Amino acid sequence: MDRTNDRPMQRAPRRELTRRRLMQATAALGAGSLASPFLSRSAFAQDAADYTSAGIDWRMAEGTEIVLGALEHPWTAAIEPLLPQFTELTGITVTLQKSSETEYVTKMPVTLAGGSTTPDVFMVWSIGQAIEGGFLEPLDAYYADPALMDLAWYDEEDIFPGAREFPVWPADGQRYAVAITAEAQTLFMRKDLFEEAGLESPDSMDALYDAAALLKTDDVAGMVMRAKSTADAVDWTAAGFIFSYGAEIIDEAGKAVFDSPEAVAAIDMYGKILRDTGPAGIGNYHWMESLGDFMQGKAAIACDSSNFALDLENPEKSTVVGNVLYGAVPGGDGNPGSPNMWFWLFGMNSKSANKNAGWLFTQWVTSKPTSLLAARNRAALPRTSAWMDEQFREQFGEQAADAALANLAAADGSKFTRAWFNPMWPQVGDALAIAINQVVVGEKDAQTALTEAAVKANEELAS
Amino acid sequence: MDRAVATHAPDTAHIQQAPRRSRFSSRGRFVAVMLAPATILLLGLTLYPFLASFWYSFTDYSLLKPNDRDFVGLANYVRLLSGSEFWASFRTTATFCALAVGIETLIALGIALLLQAESRGSGLLRAIYMVPMAITPVAATFTFRLIYSPSLGVLNAFLERIGLPPQAWLSDPRMALPALVLVDVWQWTPFILLIIVGGLSVIPAEPLEAAAIDGASGWRLFWDITLPFLRPFLAIAVLFRFIDAFKTFDIIYVLTGGGPGTSTRTLNLFAFKQGIEFLEMGYASSIAILMLIVVTLATRIFVRATRLMTSGES
Repeated sequence: MDRTNDRPMQRAPRRELTRRRLMQATAALGAGSLASPFLSRSAFAQDAADYTSAGIDWRMAEGTEIVLGALEHPWTAAIEPLLPQFTELTGITVTLQKSSETEYVTKMPVTLAGGSTTPDVFMVWSIGQAIEGGFLEPLDAYYADPALMDLAWYDEEDIFPGAREFPVWPADGQRYAVAITAEAQTLFMRKDLFEEAGLESPDSMDALYDAAALLKTDDVAGMVMRAKSTADAVDWTAAGFIFSYGAEIIDEAGKAVFDSPEAVAAIDMYGKILRDTGPAGIGNYHWMESLGDFMQGKAAIACDSSNFALDLENPEKSTVVGNVLYGAVPGGDGNPGSPNMWFWLFGMNSKSANKNAGWLFTQWVTSKPTSLLAARNRAALPRTSAWMDEQFREQFGEQAADAALANLAAADGSKFTRAWFNPMWPQVGDALAIAINQVVVGEKDAQTALTEAAVKANEELAS
Repeated sequence: MDRAVATHAPDTAHIQQAPRRSRFSSRGRFVAVMLAPATILLLGLTLYPFLASFWYSFTDYSLLKPNDRDFVGLANYVRLLSGSEFWASFRTTATFCALAVGIETLIALGIALLLQAESRGSGLLRAIYMVPMAITPVAATFTFRLIYSPSLGVLNAFLERIGLPPQAWLSDPRMALPALVLVDVWQWTPFILLIIVGGLSVIPAEPLEAAAIDGASGWRLFWDITLPFLRPFLAIAVLFRFIDAFKTFDIIYVLTGGGPGTSTRTLNLFAFKQGIEFLEMGYASSIAILMLIVVTLATRIFVRATRLMTSGES
């Protein structure tokens, strides 16, 4: 595996990510965003001076053509209209290759493993697999080269600390990608139905089940969540349940432990809620189906990414605008709620022939001015300045934004990364997804399904 | 042409022989050159991948470590055959094939006989029946995804209209495989129909007329005359459809992705997961090679059985 490049390799000092630090930072951010008055930045991002004030030569790769690999996602939709501005600034042409999430996560590893030089830059699905396969260009040398990066202009302090640390690979302390979105598992509740039934945001998993069961009618499902048996689907939301019961998926020793009594209780509850209160066909639900049902008023409660708010509060798509309560994922069996989290990552192809152009794009697309424009195009990004923008908060919803930030603060990044960053995650995640799906559709009980899946996952991890 | 000239003019044959050989060899070269691109392309697209897969199946080739490839002998096959996943996928594939091809054959045979009996408008009906086969499988599958949708689908709307409860077609482990079979039946029954209709058109009228005059009933006519005549055509149709159904991927991938659980994970999907999602090319290749062996064996057994039946009758 050849990860050499033509840039001097300078290792950035290892940054220690602690849960406390993440919580402090994001909690402070949440409180700050509530208290802060609107910071007017009108015409800020449109101003070319916002970019030309950076101490780098934006035209250094003029005339180059790069390919951007992305999946259908609010981030992609927000960035696509901004691409001509990048071309105008740098003289670099960007071709966007876009596909659905399921297609993307299966196609991209094979493309990159085959040694393809394109896409030059891409959204990273399984960072552990990508680093192990040598698909990703190490980025520390780019950060350290003043000709390629103006750190003062880029303002890393503006990026959530958790997001900054997220793509740093524990094995070598090297940074391989940049976070481009900030998402936390959030509970979505129909305000009118909750008020009518005299319910409040549930403070325990049992209360969540009771609320979903009470609100279920022939026309409206009690609760919708992902249940499809693929690693890109059910694992993410069900993991929030596992974490909120005090359990985890892969422990510090690298062993699959999702068959622990706590995890079994969590998945038992996950299955019970969906079986008893979910709509017919819940076993095939991905996030799109959950979002669609909730947006069309077909479900009383949903639980998924905080990004749902962007669609739920969009009058062109949603029938529940202004009628949604955003809450925290409750804890189970006396544990505190511990929602799942996600930062979509963005990296450079280690085989790309246009690395400088790719780096300029990476820097531009994650910069403060571009993030602000993208946020106004309905993307939730890991930059404080973007979350404080009034237009973004209005689109996202004040309460939704606060809930998302609180949930980000409550999330335990280490539990997430131990599972999702493992190079064998596709295999482990597949076994887990099948087990959870079998519980949801009533094919197996949680104990049996998870025990079988954990045996298989541990075989894979040991191989 | 050349031979004709040589026959009619034997006295000049010795003069013409030399240039004829020369022309023949140059013609041979010409043919070889003309065939070469297609042959090379064909070999490149079939023989090379097959040989490569065959070799990979004896290695631990993973796309995560493409340059670190070791020969592991039969380890992949041992792992495959001793694990439960392969056999579960094999059972699912066999069930899918048996149900799909069986139902398609029965329906196609029935429609073909009805079309034969009905002369008026049968041409138009034949054309209409062929339409599903002409539709791109993925496009048809997406339509079926809508049809099967638990909340928006026309199938559940119909059930509710007649007082039956809505079904979770694709997410109920008992319903998912039959739902996939239904899509295959809808799309590929016309293929078998096409072959049977062709077979029916070449059955001579005399034996049927003679039997009818002797008082044979419709059922006897079908069983003793039509069916034996049709047997080779049915054999070809069933064989082609079996091979095709065994390889089905698109409709399963789009509609269920192998779920719920693993209830619709066929061998093809199993291989796809190992190769494309987990990047374990060596292991995935061993699945592909075993699939090839299964199809080849099943085909040989089927052909031999059909030959025995036909020779037994004659």
